[in-house]
Amino acid sequence: MNNSQVILSVRDVYKKFTKDIKHNMYYGIKDILIDPKPNYMTLRKHEFWALQNINFDLYEGEILGIVGANGSGKTSLMRLVSGIYPIETGKILARPGQKITSVFALKAGMQPLFTGRENIHIKGALFGMTKNEIEKKLSFIEEFSELGDKLDVPFGNYSSGMSARLAYTIAIANDPDIFIIDEALAVGDSVFKSKCFEHLKNYVKQPGKGVLFVSNIIHKILRVATRVIVMDEGKIIYESTDIQKALHFYIENCLRHIDPARRQKMLETVEYYDL
Amino acid sequence: METTNTNGLTQLYLNDDKSFVGRFIDYARNIKRYSYLLKQLVRIDIVTTYKRTFIGISWLVITPILSVLIWILLHSAGIINPGQTDIPYPVYVLLSTSIWSFFQGSYSITSNIINNSGRFLVSAKFPHEVLIVEQIAVHCINFIIPFLINLLVLILYGIKFSFAALLFPVALIPLLLLGTGIGLLTALLRVVAVDLSRITDQFISFLMFLTPVVFTPKIELAWLANIVKYNPLTYLIGFPRDLLTQGIYSETKIYLVVSLVSFLFFIFCLMIFMKYAGRLLERLIIV
Repeated sequence: MNNSQVILSVRDVYKKFTKDIKHNMYYGIKDILIDPKPNYMTLRKHEFWALQNINFDLYEGEILGIVGANGSGKTSLMRLVSGIYPIETGKILARPGQKITSVFALKAGMQPLFTGRENIHIKGALFGMTKNEIEKKLSFIEEFSELGDKLDVPFGNYSSGMSARLAYTIAIANDPDIFIIDEALAVGDSVFKSKCFEHLKNYVKQPGKGVLFVSNIIHKILRVATRVIVMDEGKIIYESTDIQKALHFYIENCLRHIDPARRQKMLETVEYYDL
Repeated sequence: METTNTNGLTQLYLNDDKSFVGRFIDYARNIKRYSYLLKQLVRIDIVTTYKRTFIGISWLVITPILSVLIWILLHSAGIINPGQTDIPYPVYVLLSTSIWSFFQGSYSITSNIINNSGRFLVSAKFPHEVLIVEQIAVHCINFIIPFLINLLVLILYGIKFSFAALLFPVALIPLLLLGTGIGLLTALLRVVAVDLSRITDQFISFLMFLTPVVFTPKIELAWLANIVKYNPLTYLIGFPRDLLTQGIYSETKIYLVVSLVSFLFFIFCLMIFMKYAGRLLERLIIV
């Protein structure tokens, strides 16, 4: 039982999508013109649950790792928590005035024709920062990103590692209460990634802070997460503070369709490369 | 509806229970709060368009002049008969096409707002009204620069401006609201009814030939004269044009009624867009 304060609570959240493009368009126009309040809990033809009965809490001081096979609903869930997708059913609760910052795609919102320094202003503004707030954080961003003169080079010429440095640093400069990192630290060199993980661990020690860390690179989860949620086909199927146990469960779940004779061999292979 | 739980947490992203006025207050607050983002986005759009061209911002002037030259060529070759104009035909067509492009541009820029910004919209949470204001601001900037050049051409043709001409920018607002309103509805259609959005695109392009832009409202062709009479754009384009070149307009009452309808139509379209844009984002297939 966690004695810390809950800072984010997700309750009974569902989200459905449509498999087929034509039905996707048809339901879109039908929901606007014909039936603006459709019964959300009923699946129509070609629809599927992207998220089903999602319930979890994020506690103060936690780095909550979220793992799941591709298409298990991790990013959809993070988009709901961030407010990008509307909530049709269920609730997302947080403390009043709490700042949620999410980093999904590193290059999202960054402008290739503008320098890294100009992009600090652009991305910072996108996170809701004012000009003054960005200028106050400039020296921190320069120092933490360690990009030096490269900040005056067009962002389009940045390597993916450099993009990661800048995007991640701007996000933490925004000083979020709930920080959502969705595969954003998959790139970047080892030194910078280690620095970020150390920073994250210290960051959540501040009052009222928590992190949702979405990744399929499980050895990272093993190093930073304080609790892990495993998702599969839109559902939360496992939750544990024993990170090693949760990750074994996740890998075994990914391999459940493989015949038992090959499963053990595959499990050893995955653990060799991923853990 | 319960919005607070026992841990003192409150429900996020609740918008549907706001009153009509409350929503507009929220839009204004969000635009103020994200004003720095607004400035950045306007700068990006303007700079990105011209940064990689050698003649840069000159394109703003070249494009409308080329289109006017085509109409003058067609007119002087006797291919089109525009009817009697009170001002020289090149001036008439230059000014009318410029005002028409203001309308069409406002439609075009807002009707692509979800499709063009899809990747951006699904990767960051920010109020959609900021993007609408940004697109309108960019459109107005793109209009002002070539329009100032057009004014110089008008002076060269001997057009004298009265004090009433100062009201010209205000007189364009209903046209902007109508174009933006149709654009916002079409932006939704582009996600879920692509065929309908293409029909709207074609209709807007065709509408230019049913509006006194390259011909006058006094056209002799009876069926076209009837369409022109009932076409609201006749008044929304004619009023600012005549205000600028002659300082008067004979059908001010109709212009005012059409302006009021355009304003109400814009409010309706904005409400629909704000209600459904988020919901349609999850249906957007980003290419």
